[in-house]
Amino acid sequence: MPRWRKLLPNYLFLVPYFVFFFLFLAGPNVYGFYISLFNWDILLPNKPFLGFGNYQELWLDKLWWLSLRNTVLFAALTVGGNVLLGLFASVLVKQRPPGHQILRFLFYTPVVLSVAVMGVILARVFNTEFGLLNYYVDMVGLPTQKWLGEQRFVIPILSLSTVWWTFGFPFLVFLAGLLNIPEPIYEAARIDGVNRLQSFTHITLPLLKPVTLFIVVTQFIAHFKVFGQMWIMTLGGPGNSSYSVVMYLYDVGWRFFRMGYASSLAFGLAAIILVVTLINFRFLGGRVEY
Amino acid sequence: MAIETRTHEPTVDYSLPFWKRKTVLHRIDMAAILILLIPVAIATILPLVYMFSQAFTPEDQVRNWPVEYIPREPTLASFQLLVTWPNLPIMRWMLNSFIVSTSVTALVLTINSLTAYAFGRLEFPGRDFLFIFVLTTLMIPGEVTLIPTFVIMRRLEWLDTYNALIWPAGAGVFGIFLLRQFFQSIPRELEDAAIIDGCGKFGTYWRIVLPLSRSALIALGIFTFLGSWNDLFWPLIALNSNEMRTLPVGLSILQHEGYTMQGLGMAAAALTTVPVLILYGIFQRHIIQGVMVTGLTGR
Repeated sequence: MPRWRKLLPNYLFLVPYFVFFFLFLAGPNVYGFYISLFNWDILLPNKPFLGFGNYQELWLDKLWWLSLRNTVLFAALTVGGNVLLGLFASVLVKQRPPGHQILRFLFYTPVVLSVAVMGVILARVFNTEFGLLNYYVDMVGLPTQKWLGEQRFVIPILSLSTVWWTFGFPFLVFLAGLLNIPEPIYEAARIDGVNRLQSFTHITLPLLKPVTLFIVVTQFIAHFKVFGQMWIMTLGGPGNSSYSVVMYLYDVGWRFFRMGYASSLAFGLAAIILVVTLINFRFLGGRVEY
Repeated sequence: MAIETRTHEPTVDYSLPFWKRKTVLHRIDMAAILILLIPVAIATILPLVYMFSQAFTPEDQVRNWPVEYIPREPTLASFQLLVTWPNLPIMRWMLNSFIVSTSVTALVLTINSLTAYAFGRLEFPGRDFLFIFVLTTLMIPGEVTLIPTFVIMRRLEWLDTYNALIWPAGAGVFGIFLLRQFFQSIPRELEDAAIIDGCGKFGTYWRIVLPLSRSALIALGIFTFLGSWNDLFWPLIALNSNEMRTLPVGLSILQHEGYTMQGLGMAAAALTTVPVLILYGIFQRHIIQGVMVTGLTGR
């Protein structure tokens, strides 16, 4: 049997995937860049070529920079909150307190919800007139607040909501990382008279570095694309104070039908995600020595 | 790819309840840990309890303080209203969500397992190049493909149909990595034995590799189903008629279009959540293990 006859079935296994890959992944990536070079209104027959005109417009677009500022703030607060809460919970659950499996189950529960469900519930929790938070704020005798109606609160509240929704993920990944640290290291340190705080800062944290890098990078990418929370809870308001980059992408593409400009916006977003990922690798990267 | 989910060599006898364990210090530790963790657990679960209680509270009481987590007069009125409301075909939305999520799951499991088998178990020229080629596309966020995919779907006249929601999932990369890693851990001897018995490559894949990978396939299936069931952004773009909507899109519309009745939104949210919670309850071990092993993104 000739060689190619023997190898042919191997390639046949890949054919179905690569059809989808070119049609819905690689193809659209290239096509998206092509579209971004045109004034591409989906409703109009002629689409004038602009070169990098859309990118120039983007550079001078105040709403883009505003949405970027909001999104960076949101992503930073959310990733920070998620990492701290996830680490805190995982370090404690690792000690196997009674009911630790129930706790593990509960902490991950909100993660399986749709962003739409999470948004509907938390919009109610933070409702000014009858929300759950104001109920408790009122109960302890503090003045109630317009949580989602005030510019200074809206991004932190959206971040807090998102931490509630997603911290179970970093929690589980940190827990996996902690359980992979060999217990004899801690035993040896204990014999040498190292106290618990020292063993946390000198053993646990350095050995968790790769896990932390993974979490920070994936979480930043995920939360930088925030859309649903704002779409359900604030519609970008009050004013434009919670308007996110992907909300802007949605409006440009599907309310104003400026597909070319929306595409250049998507590539702007991709560039930022790439830069931040590289910076994270620079600061947090490096090998772990046991 | 089993992962150690227990601590190594426990220094205390965990079979005893914590108050009977050997050291006083250990008992104090555990009590302190619980004092710190229980508030987190309550905060995690309270909004969900709130959702269900509001869904079963009569509409004229949902705005009342004090908040009642167990409604004094529980009622199905909000659910009845929701099901019979002419502009909110929620049962149709649920059916749409089921059809789309089930199809996406079947598609992803089929395509990804075939691909992962070739990348993980077969040898042929160009294999590593192709694999790295697929890998690099992961660097580009999915938002970049939204606009071109929308334009392609419009050309194909697939907008506002199930096709627009189902087929793009076939290009997913995550499952290939997950399954490839798992397939590579299956001993080579089993495959050789099958080939000696006259199994072809497809026969080996179908009769040996797939049955041995049940747990990985279940994990991938659950994650894919949940991801598809919960997705909001793409269905929001790709659908426009009311009866084609999936549950998350319907829910967001309900939130926006001036349905001021509070119980209605919470009842719809509860209906969207119940299937997900049932799945999570049944497959919690697969889900938690899957996240811990792969560290994948939750949605």
